[in-house]
Amino acid sequence: MDYIITTEQLTKKYKNFISVNKVSLHIRKGSIYGFLGPNGAGKSTTMKMLLGLTAPTKGSFTIDGKQFPGDRIAILKEIGSFIEAPSFYANLTGRENLDIIRRILGVPKADVEDALELVGLSEFGDRLAKKYSLGMKQRLGLAGALLGRPPILILDEPTNGLDPSGIHEIRNLVKSLPSLYDCTVLISSHMLSEIELIADDIGILNHGRLLFEGSMNDLRQYALQSGFAADNLEDVFLSMVEKDNMDRKQRAKL
Amino acid sequence: MKTLAIELRKEKRTGVIPVLLAVGILGAAYAFVNFIVRKDTLLSLPLAPMDVLLTQLYGMIMVLNLFGIVIATCMIYNMEFKGSAVKKMYMLPVSVPAMYLSKFLILTVMFLVAIMLQNLALAQIGMTDLPEVAFEMGTLVRFAGYSFLTSMPVLSFMLLISSRFGNMWVPLGIGVAGFLSGMALANSGLAFLLVHPFVIILKPAVAMSAQPDPTVSLVALAETLLFLAVGLWLAKYRRCE
Repeated sequence: MDYIITTEQLTKKYKNFISVNKVSLHIRKGSIYGFLGPNGAGKSTTMKMLLGLTAPTKGSFTIDGKQFPGDRIAILKEIGSFIEAPSFYANLTGRENLDIIRRILGVPKADVEDALELVGLSEFGDRLAKKYSLGMKQRLGLAGALLGRPPILILDEPTNGLDPSGIHEIRNLVKSLPSLYDCTVLISSHMLSEIELIADDIGILNHGRLLFEGSMNDLRQYALQSGFAADNLEDVFLSMVEKDNMDRKQRAKL
Repeated sequence: MKTLAIELRKEKRTGVIPVLLAVGILGAAYAFVNFIVRKDTLLSLPLAPMDVLLTQLYGMIMVLNLFGIVIATCMIYNMEFKGSAVKKMYMLPVSVPAMYLSKFLILTVMFLVAIMLQNLALAQIGMTDLPEVAFEMGTLVRFAGYSFLTSMPVLSFMLLISSRFGNMWVPLGIGVAGFLSGMALANSGLAFLLVHPFVIILKPAVAMSAQPDPTVSLVALAETLLFLAVGLWLAKYRRCE
């Protein structure tokens, strides 16, 4: 199998709290990998480790055959990312913000317009970013990630703060990306219903532990085996998380 | 060069460059107005005319420079923290220490421009208002270099502090506290107080002679490089936990 991102027993510990616990991910090249888990499951921390924003306590990972910290610049050249809240220069317009990123990436000027067009921000490009609504800031963050059409996209809950039509639009955009320019997408969410519509593969995380990894079909099989309806994956996800929480409580009592 | 050009673009609408230009213009205007109003009083002091020109006007100019540096360093990092822009920078293929160094260079060059404006005003006053043949261009240039060098530890220190705190009021408060403590300690003869960057910037202002003090100059250079090195090192290792 041609994996573009793999993690090996990736662990992040903060004093006496384990945020990510021995997570081994396998993300296929050209796929959309849905990273699912309730709030605080460790999705953002895992993504931050992949971007070199925080160092793993244990374990390792490879991105397109490269490793942090030695290949930091080479890795970041290949990744478009959007982590947690959108990040932008409040004193610059949307277009100027993207131009800063464009210059850093060394991509043509036309890519700024391309990214604005992709997220539907073209007509607001000359407005100061601090005057954007939350949804527009979210779109600007996405445009920053898509700029230069990177081969890997890491998107952390990119539809947060968007209205239903915005969610639909961004979901369709993310879904179209691999066929549009042959990229791999790692997208996180705490809603299976959202991931279900776009992902090829899925990883379910709870309290830092990877509970399930496989294709959407594998998850459907698992649902049938566990006595759930295959068309109601939300229940499978919730029961998986609930069972893990119960096991944790049991372990804690012992 | 690429990072420097990008940093310059980021400065748009932040006010960093206008603040330092304003410091230069205000300092020059203060020198002109003060010399016009107090010319006779100043020239009757028991000091050489060049010492009068350079040391008696420098106090207020130094205060302007100091607050200009404090405000500009706070602003240059505030724009990184506002909107969490710096977080995006950590996710891009850009060297964060190079970004820090570019900010240092922008502030240094703009501060040098401010010093030059102020010293052009002093040169003009010297050539027109000092007694004949009393004006010495060499002394003025040396003092300008000395005042620039003794201001650099504060610039380097304040940039380091500003890069560490997301809340702009913290470095601003440290800057004001530094100024007040520097004022209280500047007249002391104790050499170890020179580790305080705000004492160094005040040294030319409390001196009665325009001759640079080599010890102060050396300590200023060492502190500037030390704070810069610490800032670059921390920029490399800071991550968004």
